[in-house]
Amino acid sequence: MAKRFFRVVACAILIPGVALAQQTGSTSSSGASSAHPDLSGVWSYAIDRAPAALKKEVNGTVTILKIDQSARHGDATSARGVRPSTRTPSYKPEFLAKVKDLSDHQSKTDPVFYCGKPGVPRIGPPRKIVQLRNEMIFLYEDISGDPYRIIPTDGRPHRARANPSHYGDSIGKWEGDVFVVDARNFVDDTWVGEDGYFHSDALRVIERIWKDGENLVWQATVEDPMVLAAPWTMPPRLTRPSTDPLEESPKCVETDGSKLLNDDHHLQR
Amino acid sequence: MRHKVLAVCSMAFPLFAMASLQAHHSPSAIFDMGKRVAVTGTLIRIDWINPHIVIAMEARTDGGKVDHWTFESNPPSWYRGVGLARADFAKAVGQAVTVEAVRARDGTLFGYMQKITFPDGTSLELVNGADPK
Repeated sequence: MAKRFFRVVACAILIPGVALAQQTGSTSSSGASSAHPDLSGVWSYAIDRAPAALKKEVNGTVTILKIDQSARHGDATSARGVRPSTRTPSYKPEFLAKVKDLSDHQSKTDPVFYCGKPGVPRIGPPRKIVQLRNEMIFLYEDISGDPYRIIPTDGRPHRARANPSHYGDSIGKWEGDVFVVDARNFVDDTWVGEDGYFHSDALRVIERIWKDGENLVWQATVEDPMVLAAPWTMPPRLTRPSTDPLEESPKCVETDGSKLLNDDHHLQR
Repeated sequence: MRHKVLAVCSMAFPLFAMASLQAHHSPSAIFDMGKRVAVTGTLIRIDWINPHIVIAMEARTDGGKVDHWTFESNPPSWYRGVGLARADFAKAVGQAVTVEAVRARDGTLFGYMQKITFPDGTSLELVNGADPK
């Protein structure tokens, strides 16, 4: 009689659990939960690159080789789920002169020009995503080195004693089919965009990443109450699936700085 | 081996500004966009580094002097994006190549490569990606 009672109780506990697991999905071989879109994969290089092509001529036969520029600035504004954005942040009035000065001398003041780390959000969307059950791993290629970010998704809070860094301390969560990354605890020596967009160590970046068809859309919102008059939602970027595997970035050796003869400005990222 | 300066209207090279640098200085801050040089010489070295690949050449002047030229070009990731690797340049190390470039404003033997022609006649040239010709 007692055994039969325990069987009934055990079934009452286990059966709803099994049903819930079927509703919320299971774990794939990679460890990613199928309850959410799988963002895993290799994605196209998303940093603005020169729109040049290479003309190759062999024995009179000409071939034009182009790079994939699908992820350039502003090319994803019509993608599904994109939030309203502006191309420039709004700084508090007392910082406008500093922004202008940095921008006017961008080729001498932008850390990225001198092999500096772009940080978040300037690094843009990741080149590779590994989606696991309790964490998301972002891998990047960049001339300053090849950074990575390990983003817990198990509900834990930000690390209390993490040191400030260029890529910050990140935690992630799902809002529907959108993966949302909350990054904070940054050093203050990066820019959040070209044109002198400096920030303080109060920087917080919210990145939203989701699928639009087979493509990936990435959009970031920058918060910095110390210097910005309002949060800045950046234009989105769209990256396509890529078959180009990640490759270690060659070392960065800056030698042009001493040859600059004027302050000509140059579009970056 | 020799080099020569081609007198060219600056308007002939709008491509350079578009074919320029991934994360670096404005090219016009360093290079005279209207001064294109063609240098024929021995390819000495290819440095596959960021933010620009570097090509080192030795070219003998008409007076017999050996000039040591350095050219930079687009970043390694850009060349990878168009399907080229260091080996596509390094195969010609020790051989005669011709490089066409825009020259540094400071007058040094330094330029930004626009075109390279290898000993077998194969050439690689930066062109406008929006309207390649």
